[in-house]
Amino acid sequence: MNFNRVLGSTLRTLGLPAGPMLACGAIAPLALSCVASAGVVPVGVEVNRSGASDSGSATAASADGAAAMGAAPAVAQAHPGHVPRMQSVEGAVAGAPGGPGLAIHAAKILTCTMEGPAVFDNAVLTVKDGKIEAVGAARDVTIPGGYEDLDLGDRWLMPGMIDLHCHIGGTFDINDGIFLANPGLRASTAVRPYNSMLQMAVRSGVTTVLFIPGSGTNVGGQGVLLKTGHEHYDDAEVRNPGSLKVAQWGNPERWLFGPGKTFENYTIRNIFTRGRAYAKLWSDHDGNGGPAPQVDPQLEIFRHLFAGDAQVSVHTQIYQVVVATIMIIKGEMDVDVYIDHGTFDGYLAAPLAAKMGVNAILGPRNVDAPNRGIMNWVGANPERIQGVAAGYQERGHPMIGFNTDSPVIPQEELFLQASMAVRHGFKDDLMQTVRGLTIVPAVTAGIDDRVGCLAVGRDADIVVLGGHPADPRTQIERVFIDGVNIYERDQEHQVVW
Amino acid sequence: MKILPTFLLAPAALALGGICSALTPGFAPTGFLDDDEEDEAAVAEEVEEEEGPHWLLLEGGDIFTGTGAVLRGADLLSKDGIIEEIGYDFWVPEDAERIDCSGLRLYPGMVALSATSRVTQGSFAPAGEVEQPGYDPSLDVPAEDGVDIWDFDAIDAAAAMTEAESRIAEAYDPFSTYLILTLAAGITTVEQSNAAVKLRRYEIKDVVMREGFLISLSYSTADSRRRTRADFALASTYLRDFRAWEEGGKDGDEPSKKGVNSSVLKILMGDGRAKFNADDRDELLAIARLAQEFGFRPVIEGCREGWVVADELGRAGATAIVSPRDRRWKDELQVADGGSSIENAAILHAAGVQVAVEPLSGSIDLGGIAGRDLLHLNIDAGFAIRGGLSEQAGLEAVTIVPARVMGVDHRVGSLEVGKDADVLVTDGDLLHYETFVQYAVVGGKLAYEKSEELFYAHIRPLPEREVVEASQEGDVEVEDADDEGDDEDGDDDGDEDEDEDED
Repeated sequence: MNFNRVLGSTLRTLGLPAGPMLACGAIAPLALSCVASAGVVPVGVEVNRSGASDSGSATAASADGAAAMGAAPAVAQAHPGHVPRMQSVEGAVAGAPGGPGLAIHAAKILTCTMEGPAVFDNAVLTVKDGKIEAVGAARDVTIPGGYEDLDLGDRWLMPGMIDLHCHIGGTFDINDGIFLANPGLRASTAVRPYNSMLQMAVRSGVTTVLFIPGSGTNVGGQGVLLKTGHEHYDDAEVRNPGSLKVAQWGNPERWLFGPGKTFENYTIRNIFTRGRAYAKLWSDHDGNGGPAPQVDPQLEIFRHLFAGDAQVSVHTQIYQVVVATIMIIKGEMDVDVYIDHGTFDGYLAAPLAAKMGVNAILGPRNVDAPNRGIMNWVGANPERIQGVAAGYQERGHPMIGFNTDSPVIPQEELFLQASMAVRHGFKDDLMQTVRGLTIVPAVTAGIDDRVGCLAVGRDADIVVLGGHPADPRTQIERVFIDGVNIYERDQEHQVVW
Repeated sequence: MKILPTFLLAPAALALGGICSALTPGFAPTGFLDDDEEDEAAVAEEVEEEEGPHWLLLEGGDIFTGTGAVLRGADLLSKDGIIEEIGYDFWVPEDAERIDCSGLRLYPGMVALSATSRVTQGSFAPAGEVEQPGYDPSLDVPAEDGVDIWDFDAIDAAAAMTEAESRIAEAYDPFSTYLILTLAAGITTVEQSNAAVKLRRYEIKDVVMREGFLISLSYSTADSRRRTRADFALASTYLRDFRAWEEGGKDGDEPSKKGVNSSVLKILMGDGRAKFNADDRDELLAIARLAQEFGFRPVIEGCREGWVVADELGRAGATAIVSPRDRRWKDELQVADGGSSIENAAILHAAGVQVAVEPLSGSIDLGGIAGRDLLHLNIDAGFAIRGGLSEQAGLEAVTIVPARVMGVDHRVGSLEVGKDADVLVTDGDLLHYETFVQYAVVGGKLAYEKSEELFYAHIRPLPEREVVEASQEGDVEVEDADDEGDDEDGDDDGDEDEDEDED
């Protein structure tokens, strides 16, 4: 059904008896190398497919996988247990892993790369094995033989959108409030892949989300980066841990004793200081050897953070809170961190954020409204309706993205955060909206080597649409995830949301 | 009329431009000039104004009439709040106030259903529930039998103004900040508490266009269906008997009205429209059958599963008030289609159902979450278009169709000669998310001007050219129309130009 899944299952099957057997050790790295290097012909799958064709005659196919491998490794590679059954049910379509190549023709391709014009007119994009093989103007791209052609006429292509603040990846029991700081909790344990709300995400062009714990405590736990369109967790996972979720002033006051700004900031500094010491113990151990430190599940995440493998996503808003975010987590701890929400008058801290390299992922509050006589908030803007994103942009912040906090705002309205930003003064002359929905969050989360732009070697997560993605009138017509066309609007049974 | 909240005054007065000086005497924004001499002058001007008609010319814009016609670079002339002319090269009186709309678009003011009292800052009493001591509504007798002798208070009140006017006049705040924002969002008429309210600024005269036009009925439970159907049966029998009695020369006793539901009678006589809140397929089907059996055209709010039974609703002549962002999963126990569909509005429209789009929220959210409240009615229409509705039908769904629901489509909802001059002047397609209303004209008077209000003036201001032309014309107009305010207006112009350069 899916290359990664099939291969993953194969590896697990191999892995069970792997200890004593030399031959299996030789197979596993081979298969792994297929996963690791994009664009390489997936040898394992080719072999498996040949196995599928003669599954009836293969003696090992009906046998227990582990036993078969123990008997003859070469045969095991060709007929590993259940694989023929999977393949015979559903052959890989063009563009999908293991299938033939796919060439998509479109009027406009918004590639969303960070550099360059990031747009091709009258363009072609080719997909092979779930990855983008080539993209460019039609005259520049040579389509290899045997590729399926998909001509989309006047439609546009863009990368799948990315939402770095999402609570709909599974069940909602992701807001445990036992301690005020819970860095060991994992949202990944609550994931329900392709649940109804993730299906809605797919239909609105959102293909990757960061599913994070709630904001009821200062450190809610670890988020997980997921693709929205896969039916199984191991396919859907892009990276775990996706982030460490920190929530500053605005929500954790609900916790037991009602902490305020100063105690919350102390709590964050406290846990990060301990985490830094823990991470140093392990890095010293890795470098110098000696006895291994005691494992602390609460602090394991900090090894990722201080190694740069994951970022801190901070629910932060209002000027002084945003400043505290930047100064504590980036300034004192030197950990990759980004602003999440960043609303009300948080934009006043934009110059500092830009200087410190802290990206701003904004929403769903997208304006700072006059408060005199209208609302009694701590804002500092009595004079006009100030767009939040425009506020960051006007102060020179170069990396602005958007989020929804779904289900606070439905996942399908991620694009609307960009629309509202533009309405309230955010400049879109250099495709800042489209980048803010794709490559900016990808870079921010450190997954731009896989998603966020339509460039060679990236995952083929592609949205086909009728015009500018920020316009509510623009229809999302098709969505590809990893080269598979999982949503097509014209199909009658997918009319319903 | 000359009093404005001070927080409005400070920035607005500085920015007062030539356009304002071009306004005819007595025109609302003179209220910005807060010194006593001006007030006296304004009073004198008001007296002057009453002598002749008030003309307003919107010059040179692309006029999207809302009926499908587009007139490029055309003029629209309003006389005392009524559209006098739309087109090219017609006669314009010399004292007409002029607004240069070249490069801009004109649209009919949008009409929002289900607005909350937030819009006007007042809390409206629900229609028909005015409790007064000694007044028992059940003793109310038909007008043909004379005045209700028990209701002395109502008789007194009726002498002064209608009940609706009195209630809304008490609650309507024509200086409300929310009112300004609503006008900025392109909405000039709202339905609030079953009253059609024209969003006039600085005045409360004639804000209520019509009220009590919707008669809410429930048709969700078996019991309510049985009662409603019985009411309709009895009322239609009564009407048939009454007609037979009249045609028979009124021989014999007049048919008894005993037990006849007066609201249902009103529906069958065409004096009001039945309104249902219904979403489920089976309920919608039942309403369609009821409507066809008794011959009325239902208004159905919600209508989430309307797309499943669109043909039946179309045959029943229904009007659907939909919220295109309404999302509900289908009941998994049902085999048939169900749940919400983004194509709901489009499918209903294709089946002949009148489709009105109502805002996701009828209130105004200044907590910062933009795009989901009354101020973004055009975005909601955009979502209907996302689901396949045509652009024209999308525009109608927020203009003429809701006006029809309220029975005020002869006055608002499109730009036609003889209708009210409720006009938006925008810098682009009304349904585009970037578009701003530059001017909103309500009843022939400029009620909102983006560059003069504190809210959106800083976002994408119009090019300098527009301002310069307007102020030049303003000077000319002032000389022609207005003797007393000349000098000070001239000074204002000079000040204002400097300010704008700084900005």
